[in-house]
Amino acid sequence: MHDHATDQELRDRLSLIENMIAEGRRHTESWGWTFVLWGVVYYLALAWSAWGHSVWAWPVTVLLAVIVTVVIASLKAGNHPRTTLGRAMGSIWIALGISMFLLFLALGASGRLTDQHVFVAVMSAILGMAHGASSLILRWKVQFACAIVWWVATVATCYGTEAQSMIVFLVAIFLGQIVFGIYGVIAEAQQRKRRGPIHG
Amino acid sequence: MADLPELNPVVHGRLRLALLSLLSGVEAAEFTWLRAKTEATDGNLGAQLLKLEEAGYVAVEKKFVLRKPKTLYRITETGRQALTEYVQALRQLLGPSIDK
Repeated sequence: MHDHATDQELRDRLSLIENMIAEGRRHTESWGWTFVLWGVVYYLALAWSAWGHSVWAWPVTVLLAVIVTVVIASLKAGNHPRTTLGRAMGSIWIALGISMFLLFLALGASGRLTDQHVFVAVMSAILGMAHGASSLILRWKVQFACAIVWWVATVATCYGTEAQSMIVFLVAIFLGQIVFGIYGVIAEAQQRKRRGPIHG
Repeated sequence: MADLPELNPVVHGRLRLALLSLLSGVEAAEFTWLRAKTEATDGNLGAQLLKLEEAGYVAVEKKFVLRKPKTLYRITETGRQALTEYVQALRQLLGPSIDK
């Protein structure tokens, strides 16, 4: 076959393979919005539980947020293919969601969720773990900085008063979820703009 | 002098090569996504996918999601092996001129 194929044609084939593999692996998902959404959800749940004094604040807000996340994610997914990386990322955050929901629901129902310091510390540690794992897989320094924010919050909340613990939590949510999420949305938009139209 | 390798004719077709390369980067892909990426016509795309399927290089899964039919394609281990061997053969054929 090589007799008929010129070197240029063979190089063209090699280039086609490289381009198509890159195209297939191109990260088409955009997840920045979920961090913003969940940052706002935490604020809403905190506000409801603080002023409404309702035990249903967290379970109801979180369940509604899960539904909103699933619906928007399904609509955005379209016909994009599944990638191993995408599945790995999704797995981390789904496992985190299930763990946090079960843990805090059980602690709340059993009446053992009485210490705010412990609540903030555990939540921060779990979020730090998820951001840390995700940043190491993606080799994304900005997300690793986000993980550090949550780890600092984990330690800091164990000291000081309840009010100081809450301030630490609010700041961590702002930096680790909302600011990071907005940064993600902007970065993803710029990435899409740079790519331009796709040619076969 | 070592014998020059033969290029696998099933893999060598431009559209089939593009399809195998695309599928090698994902777990599974829909027909519509493959069509968008390759800009091929439905008929041509279907025919080339069928050739790859007959060669055992891709596996097809048909299912219904929310009552809508979906056709998913994934590269098989044989297909991945064929693509790897094809790239190795290309590199061997191009030799030192590969970086030009």
